[in-house]
Amino acid sequence: MSSSSALARNPIDPVRASTDVRLSVEQVSYAHSANPSQAPLFTLEATSFQAKPGEIVAILGPNASGKSTLLKLISGALAPLSGRILLNGFVVHSFTPRTRAQAIAVVQQESTLLFPARAWEFVLQGRHAHGRSLRFESDDDVLIAKNALAQVGAADLSDRWMDKISGGEKQRVILARALAQQPLLLLLDEPTLHLDIAAQIGLLDSLRRLAAENRYTVVVVTHELNLAAEYADQVVLMQRGRCLRVGPPASIYQRELLEQVFQTPLTVEFGSNGRPRVNVLSGTQ
Amino acid sequence: MKEFSRKRLRTIIAAAIAVLFSCAAVARAQSASPLSPTSPTYREVTDETGRTVRIPQPVNRIVSLAPSLTETVYALGLQDHLVGDTEYCDYPPEAQKKTKVGDTINPSLEQIAVLHPDLVLVTKGLNRLETVHGLENIGISSYATDPHTVNEIASSSKKLADVLGAPDAGASIAIEMEHHLADLQQHLASSPPKRVLFVVWHQPLISVGKHTFIADALRLAGAVSIVDSDQDWPHVSLEEVARLQPDFLVFASTHSDTAPATVEMLATLPGWNIVDAVNNHHIAVISDAVNRPAPRIISAIEDLARQLHPDAFVKKLEKEKDRNEKATPVPVQPPPSPLAFLSSAPQHNEAIPGGCACAR
Amino acid sequence: MRPLTLRRLLLQCTVLLAILFGVVIVAIKFGAVPVSLYALGRDMWGVLFHQRSGISTDYVLIIQNIRLPRILLGIIVGASLSVAGTSFQALLRNPLADPYVLGVSSGAGLGAILALIAEPHLNLSPMLAALLTPLGAFIGAAATITAVYFLGRRDGQIDGNTLLLGGVITGSFISAIIMFLMSTLSGNLRGLSFWLMGELSTPLQKSIYWFLGIGFFAAAGAIYTTASDLNLLLAGEKEAMHLGVDVPRVRLVVYIAASFLTGLAVSVSGAIGYVGLIVPHVMRLIFGSDHRTLLPTAALGGAIAVVFADTLARTVVAPSELAVGAVTAVVGAPLFIYLLRRRLA
Repeated sequence: MSSSSALARNPIDPVRASTDVRLSVEQVSYAHSANPSQAPLFTLEATSFQAKPGEIVAILGPNASGKSTLLKLISGALAPLSGRILLNGFVVHSFTPRTRAQAIAVVQQESTLLFPARAWEFVLQGRHAHGRSLRFESDDDVLIAKNALAQVGAADLSDRWMDKISGGEKQRVILARALAQQPLLLLLDEPTLHLDIAAQIGLLDSLRRLAAENRYTVVVVTHELNLAAEYADQVVLMQRGRCLRVGPPASIYQRELLEQVFQTPLTVEFGSNGRPRVNVLSGTQ
Repeated sequence: MKEFSRKRLRTIIAAAIAVLFSCAAVARAQSASPLSPTSPTYREVTDETGRTVRIPQPVNRIVSLAPSLTETVYALGLQDHLVGDTEYCDYPPEAQKKTKVGDTINPSLEQIAVLHPDLVLVTKGLNRLETVHGLENIGISSYATDPHTVNEIASSSKKLADVLGAPDAGASIAIEMEHHLADLQQHLASSPPKRVLFVVWHQPLISVGKHTFIADALRLAGAVSIVDSDQDWPHVSLEEVARLQPDFLVFASTHSDTAPATVEMLATLPGWNIVDAVNNHHIAVISDAVNRPAPRIISAIEDLARQLHPDAFVKKLEKEKDRNEKATPVPVQPPPSPLAFLSSAPQHNEAIPGGCACAR
Repeated sequence: MRPLTLRRLLLQCTVLLAILFGVVIVAIKFGAVPVSLYALGRDMWGVLFHQRSGISTDYVLIIQNIRLPRILLGIIVGASLSVAGTSFQALLRNPLADPYVLGVSSGAGLGAILALIAEPHLNLSPMLAALLTPLGAFIGAAATITAVYFLGRRDGQIDGNTLLLGGVITGSFISAIIMFLMSTLSGNLRGLSFWLMGELSTPLQKSIYWFLGIGFFAAAGAIYTTASDLNLLLAGEKEAMHLGVDVPRVRLVVYIAASFLTGLAVSVSGAIGYVGLIVPHVMRLIFGSDHRTLLPTAALGGAIAVVFADTLARTVVAPSELAVGAVTAVVGAPLFIYLLRRRLA
């Protein structure tokens, strides 16, 4: 990435230091109905964890474990019932959508465009949060967008129409748009759902590379045990709205714990790189 | 390439600004010029809708926006002052040769403007208020009539004549109309009124309300409308008609150019054959004049009266014959009346070319 | 990669302005009364150089007092309807949305009818009386906008689908009331059906033109400040929010401004149809979906369309006139079918 002075400096990122805690989730809870007269229906009980620049965090758990809610809280789309979420020391929910978008990028699974657009137009949308509200994109914006496409290996898709490219290509362009925001935090909700295995690996490899190169903090919601094990630096294990454990995969992936959370028999092995591998046992045992 | 398009842009913008400026300059020079070369005197009258109208004197150029008003202008003998009328103004036939300014709902303001009228005549039941306002905007006054009874038609024509500078003609028309009506009442004095249904249109069945001048005309012709409604053009249900069983059905001739054929057709339509008047062929057809609030409506009223009460007129004629034979005729020729056509035999089917169904 | 630049936008607008200018010239020339452009030009030239005292009064009468105001009205109404249509299509994320889908035109119609009913009972000066129908229509429109706003909220914010439902239902309800009133009232409402079709033939006072012009630029300007936001909104609400758009604020601004534009147009000219629906699509086909281009080009395109349609309306059956709404329907419906098939292909 070029270090031209015209590149926006985020107000909440005075120093892109590498070892400071960037994301701090502190005792965050959420409920759909917080009315004291009704019995509150907790979707998420008090959860905490921290993440550093360059780290990949996986929020792992079965369905309805509160993973997506936690991600929405981190993205600022929801306000926590209690607790707070800090990004470089600033409370995430207190920002305007515009300022938030300069630091946090959410990568959607799909994109529903009402009218067709070209890939470069799509990626340029990521620059919207930077600069004045009504403006025409500057040369720097164009450069950043091109760069983003190159970083995901989709430079050749630049002039293609979004509704005419394949699912995997679309995913890359969507990721490029997120990168064009020049965020500190990349959030992804079940990004591998619609992808085949090769595409899944490709995506996660890219995430790992980008996190390392650009010092992003990446938070991925997933229920894929092995992908999380292979790529995450930290795993937040969730079940039914409660955070059970936080830690590196090696310490989380214990057979009894995982069997209880995922309600299915399995075995855990350790690979040569020190990362665990889960084998799900099918049928009767 | 960049510089070329920028230069072109600049020339285009410069040219546009130059054009705009010249238009503005010309417009400014024009704003002081008056509408007409001579400055006329004005007279203020209140028209029949309560508006105050400034009318230039004398009134030399008139535009009429309703067929009834055109007829009235001719009846007053002022047709030489009529410089424009609507497409539907077809009576008298000479009126069709006048310059047309469009229809009654949306006449062309431009056409009216270039005719330089001193006054435009409108009627509340047919023309739109927007047209009046539009004409005001370009400095042209409009006078509106709004008669709801036959007597009001007479007085309205009289007032109009006064406004147009021919008060004598107006007075004599009003007197003539009163004479004919009084005469008619004498004939009908001993006959009970017939119950009728005036059919404006048969599908859907539309009649006239009690506040219209048509209902008043029916009354004067010795008839009473079985429809008792506050709306001007009420929809009537066939069942109601069958229940009330009018003595006669009355049609105005433009809606049944070939009257007998329509009657035949009606008898075949579902539901109509339970109406006695249809089966007994008690149909009265009168001229379209009944639809227009102009002096000629008298002829339609008389015609209807004769059709509904034939006995009342035969007797009278015989009595008159006796009287005339006894008395020594001293012919006193009255001055030629503008309403000369009223004295002639009533016509049944003037083949008036079709116009708007509700043109009056 | 060719992102939008200011220069390209200005160039596109200039081309459209030139076309509009041409259409205006045609509109000045053609009409119930023949006008010789040569004579007009010669007279104007003469005035400019003080060789003549003025243009022939006939021309002043027709062109300055009747045709030019009508053309100006057509421009403002066409531009307003197109900008409103473009905005609603973005706001409701629905390519079938037109300015009337949220019931504003029905509300204006009801307001106009009530004004017509009340007029004989009020003793107004002629100037006020002429203003009564547009004023009534505008008040009706404003009331409908407010009502639909409250109907269209969910969790305290405007929600696209809820707004659409609320607007359609309100519109139908008011239309039913209008039909009831028109069939039972004894007054002369025949002229109203003409107005409801959409017509530009009623000249207005100069003060109204000022109000229209200022109102248009204020509202269209407000919408234009959200042009980039609208681009993102079309990609999806959640995405727009995550990309930095303040969705509730943008929705509110666009809803009020676009409804205001619709109310403005309908109050003075009735419900001219198809312009607000089709012009945005045509401009999208030519210039793309970026609202920074789309909004100004749609405004100019709408002005061109309405002035052209109005010229047809008052020349085809001269000296009678058709309603502009009839012409736009006859031209617009086939054009819409063509666009639809092209989009599906």
